[in-house]
Amino acid sequence: MSREAYQVPSLGGGNAFSADGGATSTEGGPAVAYLCGECNARVSLKRGDQIRCKECGHRVLYKERTKRMVQFEAR
Amino acid sequence: MAPAKTDTNWSVDYDTLRRERLFRHPPNDRTAYPSLSDAIKPHIDSFNALFDGSKILEAGLKDIGTKTFLDGEVETPDQKRARQAEGRKVPRRNKLNVRIKEVFLEKPQIPPTNKFTTRNREIYPSECRERHATYRGKLRAKIEYQVNNGDWKDSIRELGQVPIMMRTNRCHLEKATPEQLVDHKEESEELGGYFIVNGNEKLIRMLIVGKRNFPMAIIRGSFVKRGHTYTKFGVQIRSVRPDQTSQTNVLHYLSDGNVTFRFSWRKNEFLVPAMMILKALVETNDREIYEGIVGNASSEGINNTFVTDRVELLLRTYKGYNVHTRSTCRAFLGEKFKPVLGVPADMSDEDAGTEFLRRIVLPHLGNSNVTETQDYDKFKMIMYMIRKLYALVAGDCAPDNPDAVSNQEVLLGGFLYGMILKERMEEWVRSLAPILRDWSNRNHGAKFTDPAFDRDFLGKIVKRSNENLGGALEYFLSTGNLVSPTGLDLQQTSGYTVMAEKINFYRFISHFRMIHRGSFFAQLKTTTVRKLLPESWGFLCPVHTPDGSPCGLLNHLAHKCLISTSDMDVSHLPSLLVQLGVRSESSVSLDESVPVQLDGRIIGYCSPKQARVVADTLRYWKVMGIHDVPTELEIGYIPNSSGGQYPGIYMFSQAARMYRPVKYLLLDRIDYVGPFEQPFMEIACLPQDLLPGVSTHIEFTPTNILSIVANMTPFSDYNQSPRNMYQCQMSKQTMGTPGTAINYRTDNKLYRIQTGQTPIVRSPLYNAYGLDNFPNGTNAVVAIISYTGYDMDDAMIINKSSHERGFGHGTVYKTKIHALDDKDSRRTKSRREVSKLFGFAPGGEIKAEWRATLDEDGLPHIGARVTEGSLVAAWHSVRFDPATDSYVNVDGITRFVKYKDSEEGYIDSIRIMGAETGVEPCQSISVKYRVPRKPVIGDKFSSRHGQKGVCSQLWPAVDMPFSESGIQPDLIINPHAFPSRMTIAQMIESMAGKAGALHGHPQDCTPFQFSEENTATDYFGEQLRKAGYNYFGNEPLYSGITGKEFAADIFIGVVHYQRLRHMVNDKFQVRTTGPVNSLTGQPVKGRAKGGGIRVGEMERDSLIAHGAAFLLQDRLMNCSDSQRAWICRDCGSFLSTQVAVSSAGSKGRNFDSAAMAAAKALSGPNQPTQSGAAGGAAGIVRCRRCAHEAVFADSRAIVWEDGEGHRFVGGDNVTVVAVPGVLRYLDVELAAMGIRMKFWVDN
Repeated sequence: MSREAYQVPSLGGGNAFSADGGATSTEGGPAVAYLCGECNARVSLKRGDQIRCKECGHRVLYKERTKRMVQFEAR
Repeated sequence: MAPAKTDTNWSVDYDTLRRERLFRHPPNDRTAYPSLSDAIKPHIDSFNALFDGSKILEAGLKDIGTKTFLDGEVETPDQKRARQAEGRKVPRRNKLNVRIKEVFLEKPQIPPTNKFTTRNREIYPSECRERHATYRGKLRAKIEYQVNNGDWKDSIRELGQVPIMMRTNRCHLEKATPEQLVDHKEESEELGGYFIVNGNEKLIRMLIVGKRNFPMAIIRGSFVKRGHTYTKFGVQIRSVRPDQTSQTNVLHYLSDGNVTFRFSWRKNEFLVPAMMILKALVETNDREIYEGIVGNASSEGINNTFVTDRVELLLRTYKGYNVHTRSTCRAFLGEKFKPVLGVPADMSDEDAGTEFLRRIVLPHLGNSNVTETQDYDKFKMIMYMIRKLYALVAGDCAPDNPDAVSNQEVLLGGFLYGMILKERMEEWVRSLAPILRDWSNRNHGAKFTDPAFDRDFLGKIVKRSNENLGGALEYFLSTGNLVSPTGLDLQQTSGYTVMAEKINFYRFISHFRMIHRGSFFAQLKTTTVRKLLPESWGFLCPVHTPDGSPCGLLNHLAHKCLISTSDMDVSHLPSLLVQLGVRSESSVSLDESVPVQLDGRIIGYCSPKQARVVADTLRYWKVMGIHDVPTELEIGYIPNSSGGQYPGIYMFSQAARMYRPVKYLLLDRIDYVGPFEQPFMEIACLPQDLLPGVSTHIEFTPTNILSIVANMTPFSDYNQSPRNMYQCQMSKQTMGTPGTAINYRTDNKLYRIQTGQTPIVRSPLYNAYGLDNFPNGTNAVVAIISYTGYDMDDAMIINKSSHERGFGHGTVYKTKIHALDDKDSRRTKSRREVSKLFGFAPGGEIKAEWRATLDEDGLPHIGARVTEGSLVAAWHSVRFDPATDSYVNVDGITRFVKYKDSEEGYIDSIRIMGAETGVEPCQSISVKYRVPRKPVIGDKFSSRHGQKGVCSQLWPAVDMPFSESGIQPDLIINPHAFPSRMTIAQMIESMAGKAGALHGHPQDCTPFQFSEENTATDYFGEQLRKAGYNYFGNEPLYSGITGKEFAADIFIGVVHYQRLRHMVNDKFQVRTTGPVNSLTGQPVKGRAKGGGIRVGEMERDSLIAHGAAFLLQDRLMNCSDSQRAWICRDCGSFLSTQVAVSSAGSKGRNFDSAAMAAAKALSGPNQPTQSGAAGGAAGIVRCRRCAHEAVFADSRAIVWEDGEGHRFVGGDNVTVVAVPGVLRYLDVELAAMGIRMKFWVDN
C-alpha cells in the first residue's frame, strides 16, 4: 500500500478527511485524546475546551503518538 | 535488618552492574553521588539560610526597623517665626509606626482560584519547565502598625510570588530521594541550586567581593581624586550586617596627616572626620584616643614620632569643630545626616546620630539595639584602622592586595537574593509615605487619629502601594539586572544571573562552581586582576578559566573548595583568648603588641611572640576539637615582618568564606584552611615537599587544586598547560548527554549524543561525580598518521564504516513555543481575551495536503517529518459568544504556523499548556522538534586534550589502513598536531586506552601519579607488551589502498573523543542574491536572515593584490548593490537626470503614461530595480540642469517636456553607468547638506 492510499484508522468510524464542515461546526470540532502529564489519563478535548486533566486537574497535556503510519524513506 | 544504605564509595572501576541497578532502581534512601550534591551546596544552603537556620531575613527586618510617618504639614520658617512670636507650642503631629514583623514564603502551589485540582495542589518544578512558567511561591509579610502610642495592629499582606530555588527548603523536592525525584520527572541526581524562570533554568552566579570585616590597607591612585589634600592611602573595611548586606567604610589619609571617614549611602559618598566618629561612638577624651592609637605612656609606641605627630594633629584639628561630648557629636552628625537617613522628622538630632552610627559605622559590630560595649568595639576598631593607616603611610606595612583570594570572599546567590528581598521590603514600607500624604490631602488634611484612617489604612493606603515584590525578584532573575536605590554596596548593576545551560553535564555543573570577579573588572584596561596568584592555590582552579575576554575573571572553584554559608558559634572564643594571654593594652609599636581579632572585632592585643603561641595553640585545639573551637574556624596568623602585611591574628568564623580540607600533620587529622591564613602556613603538596619542623599540613592529594572539569582531563600533568585550559573549554561545548529526563525538558536547544560511552581512561573522580550518567564521548581507535592529505591542518578522517555504525551520531532537540496571543498583550491586559484558537476553522474546508502533518485538532501528529515551510499548527480567529458560551469563528479561514528552519526535523512531542487557573482554552503549544545530526564533513570533534579538529572526509573502510590484527582506525589524525602543542597526555591516553581495551579494565588517569622514575609510558607499555602488542604503542599498518605495509610503524591506540556542538549545519552561510537592506540596497548581515558575509577592507586588499579584479567586481558590485543609473556627462550629476516626455505627438494621450514613467523613474535612488536606468516608457532621459527652457524658436524635434508640461531644450548628453547604490545615496545625502558631487564620465 502506498503512503497516499493509507487511510487513518479512526475509532469513531468515518475517516478524518470526510469531516464535513457542517458536522463539526455544530459540535465545536472533533474530540482528540491527550495524555495527562501527571496521571497519564486520557483526556478528550474539543476545540476551545479548557486545558486541564479531567482526572487530576493537571495543566500540561501531551499529544498522543499518532496512529497514522509514519514511514520515511531511509537514507 | 534494614537494607544497607546506598553505597557512596566509588573507585575507578566500570561498575556496570552497580550503575545499571542504580539506574533501574533509583535509591530510596540517599544519592549514590554525594560529592555531586556537595558541589552545589553553597547555592542551596545560602538560600536555606534566608528563612531557616541563621534566618537572614529576620535579621534584615530588624535592620529595617520601624518606619515612622507623620501627618500634617511641615511648618515653613515663616510659620515658625509667626508661631514663636505668638508663643504657641509646636503643633503636635501624629505618628504612624509601621514595621514588618515577619515574612513567610510558601512552597509553590496553584492559586486558590483554581477549583478543579483537588488532590494535589502542589506545583512541581517539572511542570514549570514544561509550561515555561516560573517556579515560585507566595510571599507574605506580617506588618504591624500603630498610631502614636496606641496598640499595635497587624495584617498579613501578600507580596506577590517570588521565584524559589530548586531543592531548597521552600521547594517540594528539598529532601526528595532519587526515587522520588524520578517520580517527579527530575533527574535521579537532580541537584537544584537554580531557579526556574519562564521555563529557563537560571542561577545567580557567585561573585567575588572583598573579605568581610577585615580592614584592608589599600594604596589606590584614584583616592587622590576624593578631594583636596587626599592621598592614595586608605584603609577599607567591608562591614557585613547579620542580614548579609554590607557597608563599606574607608579611612582616608590626608596629606596633612588627618584622617577622614568615607562611606557611601544610597549611591552617594559622604566624608566625615574620623575623629568625630570616634567621639560620637563613646564618651571619651583626647587622652584616651591618643593612648588608644599610640599606646600608653610607658609603651614603646610613644617613641614613634610619625604617629604621635599625626595623632596630635588629628586631635588638634578636631578642636575646630567645637563639638566635644558624645551627645553633641551625635547631635551634630544627626543633624547633618537626618535627611539622607530617612528618619522621621521629629526624631531628635542625637537619636538620629545614634541611628547613623548603628546603620553606617561598622555595622558588623552592632547593628540592632547597639549596646555601649558594641559602640566601644567600633571605637576600638576605628582606632585600629587609623593605626594601620599610619603604618601603611609610614611604610611599616605593605598594602593588602584586593585581587588576591586571601582578601576576598564569595557573594552567594541566596544571600544576594535575600539582600534584594530585604531592600525591596524596606522600599515598600518607605513608599507608604507619599501615599499617606496623598491620602491626607484627598481627605482634606485628615489625621492619622481620624477613624477613617483606621478604615482606610489597609484597604486604601497599603493597597495602593506596589506590593508585588515577587515581580521585582522575577525581573532580577530573568535579566540579571539589579534595580536598587542603594546599589547594595556592589560594583555592578547587571550580569548577576546566568542561564544554567544543559548542553552537557560538565557545562551544567560548571555553572554552579563558577565564580566571577565582577563585570566592573571586565572593562578594566589593566590585567592585574586577571592574574593567577599563588594565594588562589586550592581555592580557585588554575586551569579552568576560559580564554579570551573573561580569562582570569571567570574562575571555577577547586573541587574540594567549600564555602561556608552560616556563622559559627564563637561566643566563647574571646574568653578562651584572654586565658591564652590576650590583653587589652596596646601600642602602636608592632614589636610590642599585635592585634587579635575575631570577625572584625578586636579581642585584644598580645606580643608577637605570644601571637605565635596563641595561633598554634588554637590550631591544635581546633583540629583536636577541644575547647569547642570549630574546625572550620580560620585562624589567620600573620607574623611580624619588615614592611610585610600588617601582623596580628585575624580569625574568621562567618559565612561566605572559602575553605578547604588539608591534613594536619601533628594529629594526622583533617583541618580546614581558609585563603587568608594559607599564605602564612606551611602546607606541603607532596610527601617529598615536607620540611621537617616547618611543615604543619599536607595536601590530601595534589588534584584537590583542580576543578571538577579540570580533573577529567587524563594525565593533565603531561600536557602543556594551555591545552588543559582549552580542554576545559571544549568539554563544556561537547555534545553529550544532558540528562536522563530529556523527555520532560523543554530547553530551547538540547544536544544529545547517541553513542555515548564511558571512557576507558578516567580517574576515580569520574565515578565519584557520577559522570557515567551523562556520557560525553566515544572511545575511538585513533591512528596518528599522515595518510591521505585529508588530515592536514587539524582535520581528521573518520572511517566511513564507523560513521555508519553510529560514531558521533547526535540529536538536537529544539523546543519552540507556538503561541496565539501576541507577547505584548500578555503583560498589558489583565484579562486577555481569546481571539484565536488552534484547529481548523469549523465550516471551512480542510485540504488533504494540510493533513499531511496535522491531525484533526490542527496540531501536528507526533513523529511527523517537517521540512522548511511545513505546517505545524492550524489556527483560526474566534470571538466569544456569551449566548452559547462558546467561541465562534466567523470567516471560516484556517491559518497556519509554519516550520521556519531550513533543516528537516521530526515532531518529538507536543505539550498543550494550560494556565494555572485551569479555565483557559489552549493558547500556546510547545513543540519539541528532533533534528538528527549525523557527523558530516565540517563537524568539529576533539580529544580530551584541547586537540580539536574538523571532520574532512568520511573515508571508505576498504581504503583505511589496517593493522596486523585487522583493526582499522575509526579516526585518523595528523602527527603534526603534536610537536608544537605538546599534548603528551593524549599519547599516554592512547596507550592506556589501548591497554585497557585489550585487558578489559579501566585505566586510572589521575594526574601526578607517575614520575620520572616510574613513567607512565613504561606502566602502560608493559601492559601492551603483556597483551602481545608493541611496548611503545606502535604497530605496523598496511595501506588500505595498496595493501603494502607502511615504511614506519604507526602509533595507534584508543582515545576518548568528544563531538563538539559546533556543526556546519548551524554555521554555513552562502548567498548570491537574497534579502537586502532597504536603504542601501546592500545585502543584510546575519546568517539567520539569509544575509552575506562582509568582504571587508582586508579581504578587498588581498583580492586587489592578487589581481582578482573580476572576483572583486562580482563581490562588491554584482552581488551587492550594483545599479544602473543615469548620469549627465556635462554636469556630472546623478540627481539632475530625469525622464523626459517627448514633446512630439499628441500631448493629452502621452501625458499620463509619461507622468507615470517620470514618477517611477524618480521614485527613489534606493530602488534596487533597474527602473532608474530604464528611462521610462519613451526611453528619453535628459539632464534638467543642463537644459534650458524652450523658447518659441526652438525646433520641435529637440524640445522635451517634463511630467508637468514644462518644455525644455538641451541636457541630452546623458548616459547610463553602473554604480553602487550607496553612491547615489551618498550623493543625495550630500545634496541635502548643500554639497554637490560631480562625476566625470569617460567613454
